[in-house]
Amino acid sequence: MAVRDNPGRVLSSLRVNLLPALLAVLGLVLLLDLGRRLVIGGLTLSALVRFLWTGLVRGMAIGLAGIGLSLTYSILGFANFAHGDYITVGAFAGWVTTFVVAGVGSVGLDLLVLVSSDASAGELGINVLSTPVAIAAGLVVAAGITALVTVALDRVVFRPMRDANGIALLIASVGVALALRYTLLILFSGSVRTLTTDVPTTAVGVGSGEVVFRAHDVTVVVLAGLLMLGTHLLLQYTKLGTAMRAMADNKELALVTGIPTERVVRTTWILGGALTGAAGFLIALQLGGMSTTLGWDRLLLVFAAVILGGVGSIYGAIVGGLIIGITIRLSLVWLPNELSIASAFVVLVFMLLVRPNGLLGGVETV
Amino acid sequence: MLAVDDLDAGYGDLQVLDGVDLDVDSGEYVAIVGPNGAGKSTVMKTVFGLADHMSGEIQFDGEGISGLRPDQIITRGLNYVPQSGNVFAGLSVRENLEMGAYILDEVPEDRLTDVYDRFPILRERADQRAGSLSGGQQQMLAMGRALMLDPELLLLDEPSAGLAPELVEETLDRIDRINDAGTAVLIVEQNAKEALRRCDRGYVLVDGQNRYEDTGETLLADRQVREEFLGG
Repeated sequence: MAVRDNPGRVLSSLRVNLLPALLAVLGLVLLLDLGRRLVIGGLTLSALVRFLWTGLVRGMAIGLAGIGLSLTYSILGFANFAHGDYITVGAFAGWVTTFVVAGVGSVGLDLLVLVSSDASAGELGINVLSTPVAIAAGLVVAAGITALVTVALDRVVFRPMRDANGIALLIASVGVALALRYTLLILFSGSVRTLTTDVPTTAVGVGSGEVVFRAHDVTVVVLAGLLMLGTHLLLQYTKLGTAMRAMADNKELALVTGIPTERVVRTTWILGGALTGAAGFLIALQLGGMSTTLGWDRLLLVFAAVILGGVGSIYGAIVGGLIIGITIRLSLVWLPNELSIASAFVVLVFMLLVRPNGLLGGVETV
Repeated sequence: MLAVDDLDAGYGDLQVLDGVDLDVDSGEYVAIVGPNGAGKSTVMKTVFGLADHMSGEIQFDGEGISGLRPDQIITRGLNYVPQSGNVFAGLSVRENLEMGAYILDEVPEDRLTDVYDRFPILRERADQRAGSLSGGQQQMLAMGRALMLDPELLLLDEPSAGLAPELVEETLDRIDRINDAGTAVLIVEQNAKEALRRCDRGYVLVDGQNRYEDTGETLLADRQVREEFLGG
């Protein structure tokens, strides 16, 4: 009797065996090509370091923004499409504060509160070295206000739907996203405003060239790193963090164990909201400008990072963010600028073919 | 101590329990046996607020507890080990036990020591992920977690389900010792003969209703019970 191959099995064996091998070969070829370009001079060492550094900067920002998304996914079990607009809320709340702190007295308060493009950013001279207090205040307020907004929205929209399925919650979150974005648009108008001026830089010689480090890029990497470390310590070493992991692990058991699950949910929103707001503020700092679509424009990248790393794992979000960020920048060695973001999604697609649950999916919860 | 009176309960529109009566006295060991789908687990889930309570009384130490949240119920001295998914797989063994005492401000070290003394393997594996334990060890951890608040009454839903045959005896022995130490036990068990042999009293539940109720010995000796439910 003829044994016919099951097409499903052939496909899955391709996925398990052939694809990783092919990808490894492809990766090796790219690495060798990178070496070749460095040797023959098509790519300078300083250019490579620049790509890696700017990729790290983008990756840290995306990763930080992804933690909140991953946290709410792991505890509440739905993909929150309002997350991008939480990022924007953080950016606006924070920069209103920074403008007011930096500019009060010299520019009309109405212009400052609206982070208006009429209040010339040049006049305020905001950057991390000349107005550190204004930046720090903005970061704190960005985190605080976003946490409040996410908790309030949970109370009004998501909490009454706690037992609804993930799709219903997802659709509700799209509604929340639109409501938030257009509220911001009404308050602040849609123009792109400049936020910072005269950002200090330091040039470091690398090989025959040099790499310029912008103070704000360094600020983003350092602060995002500290916030990530803080989140890690909170989740691993505090009672509340352990309860959050327990709930992500098994909601029903958390309930019968006596963990007050609603309080854990609220804490999750506060933590996730604060990190997301801080990420929004830092993304705008790094860009030096923002509009009301700041977060929405980046939501797809944040989702990509979270999915790449493994949905529900904060470490996955961080690793995914770094891979996405560095891929986007490093792809410039081979690809034109227009294709750099697409390259990150190609990496995502291949990674999911090999590891459908994401890099860290199923390895470590929260 | 636990007094369930004329309980109707189920899930949404589906009624599973129809007028169930059940009592557990202080320090007693009570088993619920019966065919699949009789509603044995639903009794426990209803007591713990996980199934929908429709009518009837559930009292613990003379006070009604229906409608309370699980974190309120466990403070009264009642604890529950579900049948499956009863450990936090991603947490360490120690963290699992600590979560059992979440409602207390501090982890009660004496309770932790007591649980470790009962189940020494948990002390050895304190820092391992619970998901890496064997089935029998996970069952010990689940019971250990439920013992962290030193409950007066422990509800155990099929503690031997899914265990290798040689571990079933061992697990039931452990439950005997928990009971010997003074904790009342209400157990749902698929090994009906074993459970009835060990318990003080047993209930035979059929189609969501009480069918027989007596001491374990008497039920085991009853010809009708043997033929209908214990395979002769």
